[in-house]
Amino acid sequence: MYDKDTSMFDRILSMFQTVQNEGHGSILLVFIIGMVFGSIIQYTKVHKFEKIAGFSMLKDTVVPKMLFLAIGLASIGLYFMIQLGWASYHVKPITLGGLIIGGTLFGISMAIFGKCPGTGPVSVAEGRVDVMVGALGGIFGGLVFTLFYDQLKVIMGPNLGKLTLNGYFENHQALSVLIFGLVLVAISIAIPLLEETDEDDIGYQN
Amino acid sequence: MSPYLLYKDISMIKKIPWWLGGVLMALLLLFTFSVLGANRPIGASTYVPYFAGIIFDLDPDKYTYLKEIHNPGSWEGVMLLGVLFGSFLNAVFVTKTFRFIIVPSAWKKYKNNSIKSRLFWSFVSGFFLIIGARLAGGCTSGHFLSGMTQTAFSSMIFGAVVMISLIVTGKLFYKDNADV
Repeated sequence: MYDKDTSMFDRILSMFQTVQNEGHGSILLVFIIGMVFGSIIQYTKVHKFEKIAGFSMLKDTVVPKMLFLAIGLASIGLYFMIQLGWASYHVKPITLGGLIIGGTLFGISMAIFGKCPGTGPVSVAEGRVDVMVGALGGIFGGLVFTLFYDQLKVIMGPNLGKLTLNGYFENHQALSVLIFGLVLVAISIAIPLLEETDEDDIGYQN
Repeated sequence: MSPYLLYKDISMIKKIPWWLGGVLMALLLLFTFSVLGANRPIGASTYVPYFAGIIFDLDPDKYTYLKEIHNPGSWEGVMLLGVLFGSFLNAVFVTKTFRFIIVPSAWKKYKNNSIKSRLFWSFVSGFFLIIGARLAGGCTSGHFLSGMTQTAFSSMIFGAVVMISLIVTGKLFYKDNADV
């Protein structure tokens, strides 16, 4: 399947071919999803160090407000879309070791880096040199994870299943999702709005 | 309206409020989940080991992980190119935020003025950010946004652990009072 002599160019070509053949949207559509995703992040400024590291210092709350609102609304919408047959669940399994150790490392790194893997590329595209260096660190992280995957799997622990809240409340699925979504929306509104601005942007904004 | 005037109109918008961002993000998530869209969740950390495999020329037949992530890695790889392309265009033509900057202003305010310190910590935190995301099986996009949208317990555990370690780190790593 993979030729030993495949060049980097061939592998990037294979990336596009995989998407084209996979049936999860055309190449153009996936590309546009990325453009829209990046634009929403960029216009709300949640990719900025001031927003993410600012949240870790509790001096900026745009990130949690936006996250909880998006999840609250989307969880209700998704449930009804699934009932109508317009979508399906793709739930990640519970692996306690992986979630707790991985989540802890992720949170520490996110506070220090002031980025996450989805917001980092937006800052790279805006010319932020520190984020490019961090992305390089991330590439090495990806390399190490790939090389030691078999050993790391032991830390991640057993797969305890793809459990969900509305699966737990089997007989009251719609109600449980509705309550879950509305509680998250309420939380997003209840969190007081604090903002830490990037002083480098002052003077550039109208 | 002439295309130029339309461009000027759109380019006036440089920031949208958090609630509009939340609504738009919910719509994008739902579209991506839908059969009209991609019939899958949005994720944004699998592409990193996927590209690491390409850059370091690792043979996908030899590494279990590269085989496992071949399809999602490709999908996210194309999405990432869209993110980079769209953000670059926005930064240059609309938000006018494209600038080469090494040390973020809040790092100067709450940590230090050292370029060396910022680049060292960026590299180290970038490294562990990806190790952490791949151990957990997702990141802010795959777990937090897409996972909690599906009311997945795995994503709620991830979200709670991340929130706690993020805030504890923020408290310990940065100075309370800003340097003026």
